[in-house]
Amino acid sequence: MSASKKWLPILFASLMVFVLAACSGGDSGDGGGSNGGDKITLWAPFSGPDGPKMKEIVDEYNDSQEDYNINLQIVPQSEYYKTVDLAVNGEKNMPEMMVMHGDQIISYANKDVLKNLGDIVGDTVEEDAYHEKGWENATVDGELYGVPLDIHPLMFYWNKDLFEEAGLDPDFPPTNREEFVEYAKKLTDKDKQQYGFVVPTLWPQQFIFPTIVSQNGGELYADGEAQFTSEPVQEALQFQLDLIQKHNVSPADVQQDGEVTLFVQGKNAMHLNGPWMMQQWEDSGINYGVAPVPQLGTEQEAVFANSHNFVIPESVSDEKVEGITDFLTYVSENGMAWAESGQAPAAKATYESDEFQEMKQQPEAAKQFDNAVFSPKVENWGQISDPLYNAINEVLLGQKDVQDALEDAQKQADERLQ
Amino acid sequence: MNTRKSSFTSALFVLPYFIMFMTFLVVPLVYGVYISFHEWDLLSSDRPLVGLKNYIALFNPDSYLSSLFFEGLWNTFQFVIYSVPLLVFLGLGLALLVNSLPAKLRGYFRTFYFIPYSISVSVIAIIWLWLLDTNSGLINNYLVKMGFDPIPWLTSMPYAWISIVAATLWWTVGFNMIIFINALNEVPGDLYEASAIDGASAWQNFIHITLPSIRPIMLFVVITSTIASFNIYGQPYLMTGGGPGDSTEVLLMGIVEQAFEQRQLGSASAMAIVMALIMIVVSIIQFKVSNSTKKRGANHAE
Repeated sequence: MSASKKWLPILFASLMVFVLAACSGGDSGDGGGSNGGDKITLWAPFSGPDGPKMKEIVDEYNDSQEDYNINLQIVPQSEYYKTVDLAVNGEKNMPEMMVMHGDQIISYANKDVLKNLGDIVGDTVEEDAYHEKGWENATVDGELYGVPLDIHPLMFYWNKDLFEEAGLDPDFPPTNREEFVEYAKKLTDKDKQQYGFVVPTLWPQQFIFPTIVSQNGGELYADGEAQFTSEPVQEALQFQLDLIQKHNVSPADVQQDGEVTLFVQGKNAMHLNGPWMMQQWEDSGINYGVAPVPQLGTEQEAVFANSHNFVIPESVSDEKVEGITDFLTYVSENGMAWAESGQAPAAKATYESDEFQEMKQQPEAAKQFDNAVFSPKVENWGQISDPLYNAINEVLLGQKDVQDALEDAQKQADERLQ
Repeated sequence: MNTRKSSFTSALFVLPYFIMFMTFLVVPLVYGVYISFHEWDLLSSDRPLVGLKNYIALFNPDSYLSSLFFEGLWNTFQFVIYSVPLLVFLGLGLALLVNSLPAKLRGYFRTFYFIPYSISVSVIAIIWLWLLDTNSGLINNYLVKMGFDPIPWLTSMPYAWISIVAATLWWTVGFNMIIFINALNEVPGDLYEASAIDGASAWQNFIHITLPSIRPIMLFVVITSTIASFNIYGQPYLMTGGGPGDSTEVLLMGIVEQAFEQRQLGSASAMAIVMALIMIVVSIIQFKVSNSTKKRGANHAE
């Protein structure tokens, strides 16, 4: 008994050491072996399978030179902007570099949290080395605040086995609305509870809906006002409702992620979602294809996209900025590891390479770069567009009329814009 | 001398709890009140003192904040009204059932009913999403096989509330059950012996002996269940996304959105504090009502 008493404090002490070590692990462990260079902390929200890929790039960079030591710290996506905001709020523990989504940049740029990169780009970071759309989404009011890492547009996925069963060529996905509706009807077999295109009623409508609106030649926001009752917007919603009620290619009452579940089960033949879903399709073992989004709208090709960008907080010193630009140049030339995560990097050296073009999903994403449209550059767009997505939800669930719902959403958006 | 020393030792015993209580409850609470008097944008270093402006905005029917707050509050109230009676009576019912089992089985069932309580809300939500999926879920699959129409469990009213309440019950009722089991075991056995001699039925036993004996515990369960239900967030957030439309968008979802998507800590804090005040008032009412019935009950017994 006395022996066990003696052991107890030791046990506790070692436990404490373990806990403390785990807490500080973020500082010392992540850098991937210090090379003695000037330390630069990088925050990123890559807590999925993309995290190890970013770490690979960082480690290779740290091994390739001795002046700078990039210390990658991954914060889970769901906590990411909360963590960034609280660091900004406390005005301490800020990293020297962050990965930020294109649609988030405006909120931070307007509060002078981010460094204007106008001087750096064109000098050490070459403008020509990236796709122009990458720059577009990092620009606010003509001022540049980020260097693009990737662009992730909405993607079109289809189940090749179901195409074959329906007598369609599994290697030729639809490219326009007529084909899409025609295929969807052929692919629907209600006796087997199998559907051509299950229409989501919640997320990822935030990517699908703006895509169709842009394809209709419309905009959700223009001239300082929401445009929810405009003709292209109404048409986009009516088209999706028709898929459920008129063409009967989608079940009604689709719940959160219901369309994903059915796609994975092989009961949803065509599916729209982001490139980040690829791993899930691979894991489920379905025989899927991936292509650019067909033109579901009436006017033009377009696809809604977001992007990851490297941004630098305002407070970072010029010496560190030199190291950061050195790292960014390296990433633009050695970004293949990032492509392996399923994303399409915005750097030409990567997406134009032969190795990249041989991949399955990534070149299909890169093909859509030219047509990419982004979130409107207005602060609090999430809050302003929230009534629209509630309206879409109610309409697609058959609980509200298209016109009434959009008029209500417009009214609420107007109130929020005041 | 002796008493001073002993009071010093007892103060030491309270200290660990006191430190935690101060750091994680009192200080953040006071800080929250402080923030609520400011226009506090997370990204801005300029945080002007605005007095009661955030609170006034909540009660100005034309403002966005007021509709966010009161619609969220009404949805939260609905959930409280649906869930609390079920949480209390189902908890008590399960406790009575488990207690009347043979001693050997009792332990097993206590564990079975309690296990869901130890699972995190995201796992609970995923389990129920898969069970309730309109087009590919287990429950609708059986309904269709038996010849019924599929039910849109999570996308139309009143099913969305039914589903959220059912998931919550499955998740947390085990906790109330454990508390009730302990309370039931505390009831002195000689009371039941005496009533058996008087020839009381099981129902009379329950009404006249069991219920009055566990009344304080009952009050505790009612109040903790109400507070827990007010704090609902994860189930609608993960299961319905606040839908259909915004009809299950509860108050905490609005507060979190205001704080971390709009980054307006000032108005979010004001909302949180008004919500806390409402919860306190409701708890006090419950306490008073319960106490007055207790007195009446006592008089009645005399």
